[in-house]
Amino acid sequence: MDVLEFIANNIFNEVAILIGLITLVGLVLQRKPVDDVVGGAVRATVGIIILFIGVEVFVGGLASFQAIVASAVGLDPPAATNTLDGFLGSHGGNVAMIITCGFILHLALVRILKTRYVYLTGHLLFWMSLVVTACIVQAFGEIDQWRLVLVGSIIVGCYWTVQPVFIAPMMRKVISSDDWGYAHTSSSVAWIAGKVAPLAGDPKQHDIEKIHVPKKFSFFKDVTVSTAVVIGVIMLVGLIFADSDVAAEQAAAYDPEINSWVWGFIAALRFAAGIAILLYGVRMFLAEIVPAFTGISQKAIPGSRPGLDAPTIFPVAPTAVMVGFLTTTVTFLILMGVFAAAGWFVLVPPMIMLFFVGAGAAVYGNAFGGWRGAALAGVITGFALAFGQWAGWHLLSDTAPELATLADPDWYLMILVVLGLGELFSGLGENAVLLVGVVIAAVFGVWLWILKRIQRRAGEPVTGLEKESELTEQSSGEQ
Amino acid sequence: MNQANRELKVLTVCGVGMGSSLILRMNAEKALSTLGVSAKVEHTDVSSARSMKADVVIAQGLHTDDLTGVAPVVIPISNFMDVDGLRQQLDEALRGQGWL
Repeated sequence: MDVLEFIANNIFNEVAILIGLITLVGLVLQRKPVDDVVGGAVRATVGIIILFIGVEVFVGGLASFQAIVASAVGLDPPAATNTLDGFLGSHGGNVAMIITCGFILHLALVRILKTRYVYLTGHLLFWMSLVVTACIVQAFGEIDQWRLVLVGSIIVGCYWTVQPVFIAPMMRKVISSDDWGYAHTSSSVAWIAGKVAPLAGDPKQHDIEKIHVPKKFSFFKDVTVSTAVVIGVIMLVGLIFADSDVAAEQAAAYDPEINSWVWGFIAALRFAAGIAILLYGVRMFLAEIVPAFTGISQKAIPGSRPGLDAPTIFPVAPTAVMVGFLTTTVTFLILMGVFAAAGWFVLVPPMIMLFFVGAGAAVYGNAFGGWRGAALAGVITGFALAFGQWAGWHLLSDTAPELATLADPDWYLMILVVLGLGELFSGLGENAVLLVGVVIAAVFGVWLWILKRIQRRAGEPVTGLEKESELTEQSSGEQ
Repeated sequence: MNQANRELKVLTVCGVGMGSSLILRMNAEKALSTLGVSAKVEHTDVSSARSMKADVVIAQGLHTDDLTGVAPVVIPISNFMDVDGLRQQLDEALRGQGWL
């Protein structure tokens, strides 16, 4: 027993060590030379350590931002009983287990159900697993590790399998090919954008290439810069209206000698730096794990297509990318003012999501409704992110509320679904969590079945075995 | 000048350096190995890339304007999964620079 307990406490609860070992196994399975195996495992482990340091800096910067803005508009800063770094410290190992088991389950589902797309957007393998872990712990408290990992893996495995499938017919219109799928947690707003865009405009009549976006906005594409600038401006404006005691207290915690204004500027830069550091850590461990996942899936699932990140569709419509980013950001900032005036909640502009989700949805909007569709997609995204942040923070306040400020629209839906089911089954004792897994698997199963029927009727390829030529024949027939 | 006795340094770049740049890196590795070029390929985000030096930068067109000066060769990408197209672009560019 002592050995098992040692393993549980020192490996399965220590995410850095667990990720290092998973990477080691992945690299050995790929028969990499010894130096690659050792180097890769160490880089992945250090990546996780860096991620933790970044999260600490980010959470600190976020707390200062919220304190100042809350004081400026006369609200209480959003309350929470736990933080993201605390939650990662206690449940990081479970997250690592859920990424691995969930991905293996996903591969099995793609192979058995012939769903065509393998989810390869690495950072979303990580973040979705983290969100689902937080939801289960929020709903059921400290439960058995095996129940948590089992149910978490089922939920993420089902999500990764169905998400690229449901958006596939639109995705094929967007990229005019079937080389890869769209595997990104902006899929819900992208889908809505594709559906409502035709009401707003026409892709030919309202051609987006006639729109000229001024070059001076282009530095905003660099999300580190745009985060620092936008948070910095809001921070300095906030300091004008904030209670000077609150500002002095926050500043003194950083440096007792520093002037509040200078501190405010530095705090905004530290916020951006925290995000840059945590992304650097994520990048470092994903760089070792994703190629292993890719290699295994290419061997295991013939005929499958990779499901890829949002920027892979940006080259289709670069102007839509800028239009989407600008309209999403403007919508979010207006809503931030509305929330403040109404005394609801301190919103934090999430520049990464405003860019990637807004741009992704706008590319879909553009494909189905020209520039009007793209702009409408941005507005929809702004609303989804603002209301999602408000709801998500409250719903995850005992686990990792900061996730709400780093989240994409699909995360919010996932939070609502898992916590809603948790609420529904809460009176049923310790096995209620298993019921959540069963219900979600059933819902995804039925959804997939319906999707395949609809897509087959529409003449869309629905398994990994149809040839690309069938698709091109069909689309050339239309023209 | 014959540069072929040194390893080619390649940087693939995307917005935050996690998803599409990693896919580009794997495709670039495939393309370069079919060309028989010995290369070290790394992936990163736009901000970090600007402080780095490389022989070749591969990025989507949206970012190439921000990456001049990082490398003598900047290759814009329009289809992330087109390994053959990338191989042709690399072939042409590397011939121009004396790598092939």
